[in-house]
Amino acid sequence: MHRIRLLLVDDEDDFRTTLASRLRRRNFDVTEVDNGYGAIEAVKKGNIEVAIVDVKMPGIDGLETLRQMRTADPLIEVILLTGHASVESGVEGMRLGAFDYLIKPCDINDLVGRIGDAFQRRLVQEGT
Amino acid sequence: MLKKLKLLKNWKVGKGTSRENEAGRLFRFKYAAFRMLLDSNTKLLQIISDLEEKLRGQQVFGMSYVRTEAGWALFHCLRMVKSLDDLSHHRYPRLFEVVKMIEGKIQEEMGRKKEPGPAELILTYDRINREMIDWVGGKNANLGEMRSRLRLPIPEGFCITIGGFTTFLSHNELLEKINARKMEIDPGRPETIAESSREIQRLISSAEVPEEMEAAIKGAYDEMLGRINAGKIKVGSLRVSVRSSATREDSTLTFAGQYLSVLNVPGDGLITAYKEVIASLYTPAAIAYRLNKGIMDEDIAMSIACLEMIGSVASGVIYTRHPFNFLEDNIFITAVWGLGPYAVEGRVTPDSYVVDKDDTSTILSTVVSHKPVQLVNLPEGGLQEIQVEPQKQDAPCLSPGQVSALAEYALILEKHYSHPQDIEWALDGDGRLLLLQSRPLKVGSAEYEKRSVPAASRYPVLLKGGAVACPGVGCGPAFCVNSEEDLMAFPEGAVLVARHSSPKFVLAMGKARAIITDVGGVAGHMASLAREFAVPTILDTKIATAIITTGMEITVDAYSGVVYRGTVPELLSLQKTIQSPMKDTPVYEVLRRVADLVVPLNLTDPRAPNFAPDFCATLHDVGRLVHELSYTEMFQIGDLASKREGFAVKLDAHIPLDLYVIDLGGGIASHRAGSSKVKIEDVASAPFNAVLRGMTHGDFRSPQVRPVDFEGFFSVMREQMTAPPPTAERFGERSFAIVADNYVNFSSRVGYHYSVLDSYCGPNVDTNYINFSFKGGAADLVRRNRRVRAISLILAKLDFTVDCQGDLVTGRIQKYGCDLLMEKLDLLGRLLLYTRQMDMLMKDEESVSAVAGNFLSGNYSLD
Repeated sequence: MHRIRLLLVDDEDDFRTTLASRLRRRNFDVTEVDNGYGAIEAVKKGNIEVAIVDVKMPGIDGLETLRQMRTADPLIEVILLTGHASVESGVEGMRLGAFDYLIKPCDINDLVGRIGDAFQRRLVQEGT
Repeated sequence: MLKKLKLLKNWKVGKGTSRENEAGRLFRFKYAAFRMLLDSNTKLLQIISDLEEKLRGQQVFGMSYVRTEAGWALFHCLRMVKSLDDLSHHRYPRLFEVVKMIEGKIQEEMGRKKEPGPAELILTYDRINREMIDWVGGKNANLGEMRSRLRLPIPEGFCITIGGFTTFLSHNELLEKINARKMEIDPGRPETIAESSREIQRLISSAEVPEEMEAAIKGAYDEMLGRINAGKIKVGSLRVSVRSSATREDSTLTFAGQYLSVLNVPGDGLITAYKEVIASLYTPAAIAYRLNKGIMDEDIAMSIACLEMIGSVASGVIYTRHPFNFLEDNIFITAVWGLGPYAVEGRVTPDSYVVDKDDTSTILSTVVSHKPVQLVNLPEGGLQEIQVEPQKQDAPCLSPGQVSALAEYALILEKHYSHPQDIEWALDGDGRLLLLQSRPLKVGSAEYEKRSVPAASRYPVLLKGGAVACPGVGCGPAFCVNSEEDLMAFPEGAVLVARHSSPKFVLAMGKARAIITDVGGVAGHMASLAREFAVPTILDTKIATAIITTGMEITVDAYSGVVYRGTVPELLSLQKTIQSPMKDTPVYEVLRRVADLVVPLNLTDPRAPNFAPDFCATLHDVGRLVHELSYTEMFQIGDLASKREGFAVKLDAHIPLDLYVIDLGGGIASHRAGSSKVKIEDVASAPFNAVLRGMTHGDFRSPQVRPVDFEGFFSVMREQMTAPPPTAERFGERSFAIVADNYVNFSSRVGYHYSVLDSYCGPNVDTNYINFSFKGGAADLVRRNRRVRAISLILAKLDFTVDCQGDLVTGRIQKYGCDLLMEKLDLLGRLLLYTRQMDMLMKDEESVSAVAGNFLSGNYSLD
């Protein structure tokens, strides 16, 4: 049985650690980082299949992180999370190749479903 | 959701490499894309319906609504295009460009144009004139004009410019924080306005004024002190009034009394007062006012006037003509004892003087009112209400000479601006008359004339007299407002009754049929607002709150100044209703232009040559095209897979639909795999079976119910398919049921109707649901709306949570056991057929409940 290797990128420690532990309980292999640079490094090392990235972070923001992660690994599937009610970053994120864009706080079942679909997509992209 | 979890389980066990798994993986990938596409399709249609609703102009909304909805419409459209890209293996790259192009046009419509502000943070009035309004706001521009060009007496002072405002905001990154809070506002719920207001005001008051700006303000204060004390023997301390001077206070909108003035501020209190006044851009009343007036809220900016505080003996307002009666072209002056706020806030009924415009020495009338209290400066800063000395309470505030002098100033201003003016004045302790501001007077609409109001002598008169501030007739239950809470709770269609007038009542002006107060002047802020909102208003009735109680049905004749008990039918015809309050406002105009790029559907016929990316002019077009193409893609996947697994097969059943079934696993009995047609008894999907049970219900087969029998129906269809007549799209469109053992997604586009039924019915009660939506129709809007309401009634009776907007109705029911949901699905199956015949029966309002009632009682004959 394959455990999806997830990267969780968010500068809000409480949110990130809580979400990470909930995802681990659902049998995901979760790596946590609190900033964009760390996220890009983790992707470069390989081993990440799906990333969940907060849009608004100090340093480089989620959109730039997304862009660089996809340069480092074109197969990576990224789900953007935003705490902001504005959708502009969502449109931009989709253009940059995000798999989806969810508003925080999001339903854990929804998120798990999206991660599954994102991974599904990755598997198919790998095959082609 | 369980569906998704299940998929998750499936691929977890299925990361093998066998060809079968590969095919399964590909299909699940495409199915996930398809689900995402359907999800966004639903959301896009909801947004479109909501925009259509707002376009009717009845509901209040702000720019953040326009931005948010346009943003989400774009997002879901793009998400659909991306999903189709996955689904079709990049077959439609052009669609990305089309969305980008539409996005560009939408951004252009919403684009904000920022004028570059002035470099200077501070300006003195001798350097300001009215052309500088964009830099210094309306009040400062006019004060500068009075000082630098007209040489009229104004207090000493200086202006903190819009440049100062933007410096303050950007130093604290306030703009984006404020915009985020504004998104939380739902104009229909005053408590959300109050909540956002509190948070934004807290943000502003806790922000810090940049050091160099603080130094510049202090410097300007010291220079002002120097100018005032120059030549004086005794050097006094200087107090200032810190007043708002917002942009957009133009001739069509008054903003009367919406923003704060902080009076009698000592030098060391300037910065705090500055922030307080800036924060008043976001009082609940100011937010509500801008929402109601459709003002482009995001580029609102505030400059500040810092003026020498005048220890006014008396103060008041001048109108250079009557505010709504065009027949009366005289100068109208009001006066109270003490400081100005009491002249405009409705605390005291002011004295009033009418002066002949042709001869300012002729005072045509003088009405001296009872003025028991006044507002004065406190030596330590701040203000206080005190009793007026008994002998002055009923004495006039101005001498005839002073009245004439004020009238002279007023004439100069009206002539200079070539427009009637609304002027504030003050009389200081040395007998100097000073002008504190002048702005365009909002004159009543040309509609006003002396109407012949029918005498309603048969009805009990509750009160008579008072001052008409806005003429008109209003009728409804009285609602007494004593507090902010009362104001928040003010019901639609009531008559506002209060002790004093207040500019805060703007929060209720969209809902009030009329306003009556005990105290207040027709030149006050609230009176201006009432005229702007066209709410019939009588002020200064003296006894309204004593004799009118909440809930009492009353009719207000604000032509004659009479209030009747009960409803007076003779007067009701004079009651004006504002058809579309938002129409013609700037925000509405932006919405209309943005909606033109989102809402219209030009791609209606999938078989027409223009049903292609290059012909998409709106997001709706893109959505419609993508949605249609997605079925084609799914259909083709089915074709590919059907060789082995049996996808996309025609359902051979006695129902008037051309229905194809796509099986995702366990939806069709395994022994039928590979067939090109299946029968109802082959369907293994539990929820789909329930829908089919409803659609094949016996009553829909009986000849007297359906004039066209099914053989006849299909023969018509066959004929049309061989030689399509112009109405071919009425028939022949395929419906799809995408099914799994516990799942059905059933979409049918029949004629002009479009319905989607999506349901999961499994063993886990928590994940079970039915989503049903129904949109469109061939009939006119009225009939469509009736049909939608009939469907809403039915769905509500079936325990669905129903949302109905325009011609889209959506219903949802969830977390029920399978058996119960199957019953509902059966009924929905019946409803789908029943609705096909509904249109022609929707001839009047009664048919709405009749049609719904018949259905619910099991009578499907639609007679």
